[in-house]
Amino acid sequence: MKKIFFYLLFLLLMSFGSYQLTINYIPKLVYEVFHYKIEKNQNIKDNEIKHFDIPSDQSRDVVMPNPDFLYSVSFYDLSKKDLNLKGNMPDSSYWSVSFYKPNTINWYVKNDQEFNTNKLDLKLSLNNNLKENTIKSPVEKGFMIVRILVEKKDKESLDYYKSLQKSIVIK
Amino acid sequence: MKKLIENKLILVPILIIISFFIGTFIAISSINSSTQNNEFSIKNGNWIVNPKMDLKDSYQRAYISRIGVFALDEKEALYFLSSKDNMGKNLSSDFDYEITGNPPAGRYWSYTLYGGDYYLVNNKTDVYNINKENFEKNHPITISSTKKNSNWLPSGNEKQFHITLRLYNPDKEVYNNLDSIELPLIKRIEK
Repeated sequence: MKKIFFYLLFLLLMSFGSYQLTINYIPKLVYEVFHYKIEKNQNIKDNEIKHFDIPSDQSRDVVMPNPDFLYSVSFYDLSKKDLNLKGNMPDSSYWSVSFYKPNTINWYVKNDQEFNTNKLDLKLSLNNNLKENTIKSPVEKGFMIVRILVEKKDKESLDYYKSLQKSIVIK
Repeated sequence: MKKLIENKLILVPILIIISFFIGTFIAISSINSSTQNNEFSIKNGNWIVNPKMDLKDSYQRAYISRIGVFALDEKEALYFLSSKDNMGKNLSSDFDYEITGNPPAGRYWSYTLYGGDYYLVNNKTDVYNINKENFEKNHPITISSTKKNSNWLPSGNEKQFHITLRLYNPDKEVYNNLDSIELPLIKRIEK
């Protein structure tokens, strides 16, 4: 009887442990699936940037995409070197840079009004660095999104925003 | 049975496997249930809005990763979602709707339609949203499967669709009072 009680307690504790592990792993799993999907479908590697067109009804990479945005994304890896994100951005419309941990938590976001310049020049590092344009990543690997709001969608405006988007590079 | 209980070498691995399946099953079921019931979202009328994104609790983090992966925090953007009209009925392309009232104060806003699968509603005109820029003042926003002259949001052929009201850089009063601010109404109208 004592043994049965012991085994039931063991089962209960192990189930609770497994529950906790699964709950903690779900965000990482979501991230890994997304990483695999983007890497496979868009043929991009870590530390490369991919510029996406404005989402349409054919877009299937993420649910609920915003059709007002041009998205540029990158999976970053700082294990070998620091990264420099550069680009020419719109003068007055909204744009932002955001970074995410592999558990999908957004650890950094800064928009055009906070940058106060249309010259994007940001250094991403694992080390503490006092330079003004350097940010310290809390994780070695993560995900980055640059969002550019496309206020008008006529061809001329769209070409303008796309040319800005193409100027965004990671070195 | 007695023999099995006596044999730890067999019983312990069996119990570990069973507990793995029990724990995983309960975890996935509870997250799915929370997702369907929007458990952690803030409710205001028929709208629900994302809770704070800076989540320390692992359960809420798992929930957010399911409903809004790579979303922004509440100071940067708010995402109001509605799947029902003002009478509490599911939104469907079988009916027409009018959005009345103003979006909450913020730098930029947009209304976007998503189908039952949460992808953009299929339509030939490539019109997916009404936003601060393309909105024609003094005209209501009309959601319909047939073309309208102004502020038309095509609902395609979606038996159930969802509307997202996005608000970028909302005013502080907005994200501090999400459950009580006045939000637009989605009214069913004659087709």
